[in-house]
Amino acid sequence: MTDATMTDTTTAPLSARHLTLAHGEHTIIHELDTALPAGQVTAIVGPNGCGKSTLLNGLARIHKPRGGAVLLNGADIHALPAREVARRLALLPQETHAPEGLTVADLVRFGRHPHQRWLQQWSEADQRALEQALAAADVADLADRPLDTLSGGQRQRAWIAMSIAQETPLLLLDEPTSALDLGHQIEVFELIRSLAGQGKTIAMVVHDLASACRYADHLIAMREGRILRAGAPAEVVTTELIEALYGVTCDLMHDPASGSPVLINLRRVAR
Amino acid sequence: MTVSTTSPPPARSNTRITGHWWLRAGRWSLLINRRAVALNLVLLLVLAAVSLASLALGSLSIPLPEVIRALRGEGSPVTALVVTELRLPRLLAGWVTGAAFALAGVVMQTLARNRLATPGIIGIDNAATAFAVASVVGTGVSLAPPAMALTGAACATALAFGLAGATGTRGYRFIISGVAIGAVSGAITQVMLSAVPLDAANAAYPWTVGSLNARSPDALRLLAVGLGIGYLLALGLRRPMAILQLPEPVSTALGTRTGQVRLAGLALSVLLTGLAVAVAGPVGLVALIAPELARLASHPGRLPLTASALLGALLMTVSDLAGRLLLSPLEIPVGIITALAGSPYLLWLLLRQSPDINR
Repeated sequence: MTDATMTDTTTAPLSARHLTLAHGEHTIIHELDTALPAGQVTAIVGPNGCGKSTLLNGLARIHKPRGGAVLLNGADIHALPAREVARRLALLPQETHAPEGLTVADLVRFGRHPHQRWLQQWSEADQRALEQALAAADVADLADRPLDTLSGGQRQRAWIAMSIAQETPLLLLDEPTSALDLGHQIEVFELIRSLAGQGKTIAMVVHDLASACRYADHLIAMREGRILRAGAPAEVVTTELIEALYGVTCDLMHDPASGSPVLINLRRVAR
Repeated sequence: MTVSTTSPPPARSNTRITGHWWLRAGRWSLLINRRAVALNLVLLLVLAAVSLASLALGSLSIPLPEVIRALRGEGSPVTALVVTELRLPRLLAGWVTGAAFALAGVVMQTLARNRLATPGIIGIDNAATAFAVASVVGTGVSLAPPAMALTGAACATALAFGLAGATGTRGYRFIISGVAIGAVSGAITQVMLSAVPLDAANAAYPWTVGSLNARSPDALRLLAVGLGIGYLLALGLRRPMAILQLPEPVSTALGTRTGQVRLAGLALSVLLTGLAVAVAGPVGLVALIAPELARLASHPGRLPLTASALLGALLMTVSDLAGRLLLSPLEIPVGIITALAGSPYLLWLLLRQSPDINR
C-alpha cells in the first residue's frame, strides 16, 4: 500500500486524495489515494468491475467525487475553469462515436476547441497542432476520409490524434486497444510510448495484464475499488498479486528482450 | 507543449482545412465553410424568387413589374393594397415563423442527438397552442396569446424534462414523455373548442391547424425580435453544440460545459417555438424537415443553423403559397400543407436504416 502514496500528491501532475466515487447508492471507489508519475505511462489494471474505468473517469473530472478530491498540479480539478482543465488534460473514453460523414481532419480540429475563442477560430498555432497531431498519429494521409470508412485501428489513431491536437501535458485513455487486433494494438501502444517519450504523462486502463507490463512504467493494480499494489511492473507483479486480482495461479517469467514480466501456465484457483 | 520534436510537420500549409476560407488578421482568425456560404446564397436567391411569386400570385394575380412598383410605394391603389397590406405582412410572417421553427428544431435535435427530437414531436407546439387557444376563447385568463403560448411551451418542456428523469434531453424517454404531453395538450384544445360558443371557437381555429391568416402584428413583431436574438445566441452556441455531437465524456474533456449548453439551447428552442406558435399555430413539421434538408446539403458534422433557418422560411413561404393557390378561392391552412408534405417524409425517416437515429 505504501507504493501507492509514494509520489507526493502536491507535485504530481495528477493525483487523487481520499477519492470516493459512487454510482447512485453504490460506492465504486473507496477513499483512494494515488498519483501519476510525471512523464511516465501508468497502466490501471484489475478484474472486471474493479472500478478502473470509474477511477479514470474520476481523474478526468467526468465523474464527480462523492468525497475527496482530484488534484491537477495540486489544485482541485473541479474548482478550475473547464477550458483551463481542457488545455492540460485530454481524455479518450472507451466509447467513441462521431456524426456520420465526419472526416479525420474534422475530428482532430475539435481537439483545438479549448484553445479557441469566438474570433480566434483557427490560428497558426491551431494549424501547426493539427498537422503535427495528424503526423504523430500517422493519419495525415487519411485526413479527408470520413471516420466511418476507416478500419478500427485507423479510427482509433484518429481519435488519439484529436487528443494529441489538444496539446495537453496529460493524456488519459480508457482501454485504447480494446476492439483492435494484435497488430493494431501494438501500433497504438507504441504510439502511446512515443507520446510519453515526448514528455506527456499518460494513464490508461488496460484489460490485458501482459500488455500493461510490456508498455507501462507504472502499474496500478485494483480490486473492488481499492489499490492493491502500485509501482514498476517488474516489482509489483508477483504470482501472489495475480492470484489476488484474478483468482488464477501462474508462473512468472521475464521477457528476455524487455525484462517485463510474462505470465505462463495459468490455472484457475479452486475457491 | 509541442508534441512533435522528432518528426517535423509537413511543409504544406493550409491543406488540412479543405473546403474553408481561412481569414487571418493579427490575432483574429475566421474559418468560413465555403459550402455553407454557397448553400446560403442559393437559398437566399430561391427564397427571394418564391417570395416575389407569393406577392404576385393569388385570387388576384399581379404582374411582377406591378408588384415591384407597389413595393416601392408606386402603382395603383388596388395593387398597393393587395401587395403591401395583404400579402407582404403574410409573407413576412411566413419567413419569421418558418425560420424560428426550423432554428428551434435544429438546436433541439442537436442537443438530444436525435433527429426526431423537435419541439413539434415532443409536444411543445401543442402545449403552446392549448395555452394560446385558452386565452382566445376566454377562459378567464387575460394574458396575450404570445405570453400564453410561451408559458405553454415552457410548461411542456419542463414536464417532459422532469418525466424523462436523469436522462435529461438524451434518449427516448424525453421524446416519449413529450409525445404524451403533446397528445394531452391537443385533447385539451379540442375540449376547450367544443365547450365555447361557435364564434369564439372560430376565432381560435387558425391556431389549431396552423395558419398565417390570423397573425397579429404584435405577436409578429415580438417573434421578429425573438428570432434575431435567438439566431445570435445560436451562433454563439454553435461550436459547443457541434462538440456535443461527440460522446459526452469527450465533450466535457474538451472543456465544454455540457449542462449549461444544453440548458441554453433548450431555452432558446422553447422561446422560438412559443413565439412562433403565437403567430402561426403549430406548424411544427417545418422544424423536422428544414434542418434535415439543411444537413443533407451541408458538410457532415456541421450545424447548419443559417441554412436551416433559410430553409424553414422557404418551406413556410412555399407551403402558404400552395395553400392559397391549390383550391383557390378556398384557402388551405399552411399547417395542413406542411402536414401533408411532411408526413411521408417522417415515415421515410422512421423506416430508413440509420445508425444515428437510435441513439
